Amino acid sequence: MEIMRLVVTGPVGAGKSTFIQSISEIQVVDTDRRATDETLALKQKTTVAFDFGRLQFGPKMALHLYGTPGQARFDFMWDMLIRKAHVYILLVAAHRPHEFRYARRMLSFMQHRSRAPYIIGLTHSDMPGAWTMENIPIALGLLDPAKRPPLIQVNPTDADSAVRAIAVLVQHFITHQAHQRSLVRPR
Amino acid sequence: MAITGYLAEFSLAEVFQFLEQGHKTGLLTIVASPESRPSSHQGHYIWFKEGLIVAAASQSDGHGLSTLISQRGWLGDRAAFRLSQYCSPGTPLGLCLKSQHVLSSDQLKLLFYTQVMRQVCALFTLENGSFHFDCRAAIPNSELTGLSAPATEVTLAGLRALRDWSALTDKLPEATSSLVSVIEGKPHLRLKQTEWQVWEFTDGRTPLYEIAERLNITLEKLRQIAFRLIVVGLVEELPLLGKEPFEEESDLNLGSPTEFQAQEPSSQEAELSSSFLQNLVSFLTGKS
Repeated sequence: MEIMRLVVTGPVGAGKSTFIQSISEIQVVDTDRRATDETLALKQKTTVAFDFGRLQFGPKMALHLYGTPGQARFDFMWDMLIRKAHVYILLVAAHRPHEFRYARRMLSFMQHRSRAPYIIGLTHSDMPGAWTMENIPIALGLLDPAKRPPLIQVNPTDADSAVRAIAVLVQHFITHQAHQRSLVRPR
Repeated sequence: MAITGYLAEFSLAEVFQFLEQGHKTGLLTIVASPESRPSSHQGHYIWFKEGLIVAAASQSDGHGLSTLISQRGWLGDRAAFRLSQYCSPGTPLGLCLKSQHVLSSDQLKLLFYTQVMRQVCALFTLENGSFHFDCRAAIPNSELTGLSAPATEVTLAGLRALRDWSALTDKLPEATSSLVSVIEGKPHLRLKQTEWQVWEFTDGRTPLYEIAERLNITLEKLRQIAFRLIVVGLVEELPLLGKEPFEEESDLNLGSPTEFQAQEPSSQEAELSSSFLQNLVSFLTGKS
């Protein structure tokens, strides 16, 4: 079985769980639902888990999607997810500038742990006060346009939109892989 | 396109960082919330040109600079206006008056210092308010001295002078995070001694609480210094891996594939085949 591991990450409210649910062909087990089903006492004891979804497109070919945990602490669960990822998408809610700071921390954490290619998906771009595709990269500290990852607007609730985002991500992976191979090719 | 928000969510220092790094030109309007500024005046105006602060005023009538000149007794408002008519259009008022030997270079610097450094630095004490940046707003020549300052210099001065950091507490870097430099070589800004000492720890490995211990300063103080270094674009916060293990028996089986539990090569070693990727692209293309 050949599996591509795609990690969906981003601050709270960016639409990670929704994104995975839109794509996945299986019922996604998400942490939010689990939390609301538990009593407060149980929730405090609940072990960290992560969203998981799957898209199988061939007898032995599948795309596995992992949503990073919602809590702020960067624990070994985060580390495990990002180190195993082939690609990841950072979802950022365009109308929540107070979360840009956390998105920057995430990027910093992930880029120091993994060289996996990634793209940025802007969600909620239609909301009042949403920042533009031009300005959000600057707010995330991605100052050099030549080094920025692809940026795409995505509606996590819309399956087509989520699929397009993944298509961009996969194309970016292919380009990245070709570039990496060209660097190691003997002269 | 306008950029808006609330200072409680996106601090003034971070707004300045964004405007400077984005080389923005336009007008930043700060409106203090009533509880922050009980006085009647609440609006503050800061003009940017390609990321540099070129003017600031607490009034929007275009007479802020001439008022400052008049308050110092150097020239009356009407005289300043009359003299400005002799300069070519587009000339900043300060340079216009300097070219006519009405103001000296030192006087211009003093005016700019009062206009920008003093007025803007005071804004860092605002607990809450809203900001609005309009990139289409024209920069009035009547407010310009002809001088400019990087927003980060103003930020550094403003945050150094800040006594009450309560409004910024939730924006400070985490005590368990480290710092890593984002520039080549040494900082170009003039740093204070303790800021330099913190800079020396930008190795990406030492958590802030440990830096505080080594430098014998409070963690609170260290976090404030780190925040300053972050918003002036010298370092970034790098979260470190938490050390706490699972507190209970793992329920990783819940919704997770077994592959994450088995030992397997890193993603860099397990490459995906071309046929896999082609099939995936075809599948996604057909689905959208």
